Amino acid sequence: MTVRRFHAEIGTAIGTGAIGAAAVIGATELGYGWEESGPQSGYFPFYVGLILIAASLWNLVAAFVKHRRPALDDAGIEAPFLDGERLARLGGFLAAMLAFVVATLTLGIYVGATGYIAWNTWRKGGYRVPVALAIGLGFAAALYIIFEVIFLMPLPKGPIEPLLGIY
Amino acid sequence: MGNFDLLMHGFGVAITPMHLLLMVVGVLLGLVVGVLPGLGAPNGVSLLIPLTFTLDPTSAIILLSSMYWGALFGGSTTSILFNIPGEPSSVATTFDGYPMARSGQSTRALTLAFMSAGIGALLGVIVITLLAGWASNFALRFGAPEYFAVYFLAFAAFIGMGSASPVKTVVALATGLLLASVGMDNVTGEVRLTFGFSDLLGGISFLVVVIGLFGIGELLATVQEGLSFRGVSSRIDLRDVLRTIAELPRYWATSVRSGLVGIWMGITPGGPTAASFMSYGIARQASRKGQAFGTGRPEGIIAPETADHSAGTCAMLPMLALGVPSSATAAVMMGGLMIWGLTPGPMLFATKPDFVWGLIASMYVSNVIGVILVLLTVPMFAALLRIPFSIIGPMIVAICFVGGYTVSNASFDLWLVLLFGVVGYLFTRLDYPLAPLVLAMVLGHKAENAFHQSMILSDGSLSVFFSNTLVSSIMALGLALLILPKLLHLGGRLRRRQPVE
Repeated sequence: MTVRRFHAEIGTAIGTGAIGAAAVIGATELGYGWEESGPQSGYFPFYVGLILIAASLWNLVAAFVKHRRPALDDAGIEAPFLDGERLARLGGFLAAMLAFVVATLTLGIYVGATGYIAWNTWRKGGYRVPVALAIGLGFAAALYIIFEVIFLMPLPKGPIEPLLGIY
Repeated sequence: MGNFDLLMHGFGVAITPMHLLLMVVGVLLGLVVGVLPGLGAPNGVSLLIPLTFTLDPTSAIILLSSMYWGALFGGSTTSILFNIPGEPSSVATTFDGYPMARSGQSTRALTLAFMSAGIGALLGVIVITLLAGWASNFALRFGAPEYFAVYFLAFAAFIGMGSASPVKTVVALATGLLLASVGMDNVTGEVRLTFGFSDLLGGISFLVVVIGLFGIGELLATVQEGLSFRGVSSRIDLRDVLRTIAELPRYWATSVRSGLVGIWMGITPGGPTAASFMSYGIARQASRKGQAFGTGRPEGIIAPETADHSAGTCAMLPMLALGVPSSATAAVMMGGLMIWGLTPGPMLFATKPDFVWGLIASMYVSNVIGVILVLLTVPMFAALLRIPFSIIGPMIVAICFVGGYTVSNASFDLWLVLLFGVVGYLFTRLDYPLAPLVLAMVLGHKAENAFHQSMILSDGSLSVFFSNTLVSSIMALGLALLILPKLLHLGGRLRRRQPVE
């Protein structure tokens, strides 16, 4: 499966247009007109939202024009944006990152970071499991020392840290 | 007091054991950030800002600005040794730096880069010193319409002068402005654009966005390329260093020209990246015969490095005097200033001379420290890139998420970092510029307030932006910057096309 730049351009233009539309809708709920004291609070987001919608439409049309008439194409609109191999690499990396975020929110950052780094070191780096775990644990310990001990900033913790006497 | 006395006073503030230590720490952290792909100056500074809340503002800005200089030096190191620009602004350094290092002259290439970077930075600071008093007096005449005009000018300059497509720059700017307006409106006190999500009540922190866009976004780009580092030897030989310093005066013309390009691009919102490319281009055109550019010519290293650093330092002047940063990193630092309770702008010079002149004086000192430190520690930092990416990559990811969390201790921000990481990746790959988005997020509230106040002054008439000479000329300049560059470009293209048809 290959994603072409054309698809990515279209997707991004629709996404930015949707942000503009959301802003316009949010602003109409607040009121975007004038009152005694000046512009209402939706005034600024309303017009910026309109500009964003217009610019996104322009990008959308430009992508289609280049798609239809390759003579006008200066950015390689048909060039592959992500081929199968890269998509797999990127997808794997993103999936691990997502798992890390979920683990951090449920089990705390120390467990999350240890697991995330150990897994990557083991699977992607080809290290043996004990070495990978040691690297992960070392990193988590460094985080603890820098943030909680030196700068006194609490990081998110889960159910395991209290058992070890860390609050 | 004249500028010189103020500067001397600033040196008194900057040169204390504590501040010198902070400079060394800042430069070293900056080097790490600059060397590692995925960590650049803007998000490095963002990651550090939550840790500065315990410091006083002067110490904090000295730490952050030193980190910025360190990141600029670090970016050049990887450009030369690994052909991987650690920072976008050091892309132009790879053209001649890597070939020179490949031919066995890595010490010469690095010394040329660091020395010209130091010279560029010093030229930039001298200009700041000379202009600071004047710029703040000038800015004291500003009212709300003038401020809005200046913000408009900054946005217009990004659209007109940027290298990206103008419409894509508009998208980036508008997205940034909308993100800034989420949460409590500080004029009317109403809650805006939260769509019922209580996590959005406090607004979206630009620091979290920067960490996602620049940190995670850049890492995703690195991962999809399946990057492996192939470096050249990075041992530094002291005799080579001295020999290279001795050959520097021969290239004085290139240095001065590049410094001027950098100063101009730093004060106007062109930014260091544009400055380094422009300066490289000019050096190539101005060169007489000799070895070709792109094969390891000294001027090809001196030109982009000098311009990069003088632009980086000069970007601090509009940030301090007007509150308009001209690079992404300066925008982040300005956000930090506001978090510490300082208001960038002309009043800063009057009310906090210790802060302003301490910072300016520290730029002289920390750049000298930077050149020395970077020469001493290059082999160590280059070794960082020999750590396999499968270990260092996830560590950078974890640091980015921790940094995003510490901004306001909110779990929701972890999702924002992830989301903006994907956005940053898409935007970079599709040539949407990221710097305008950051700038718009930092300036959003101020621009809206200035607009709001101007509208109240004029009872809703846009004519207030053309009501006196000062504001009209700034608006006119903004409109010209918005339209002229692309018109000239279009005109040039049409003229070239005619003979063919």
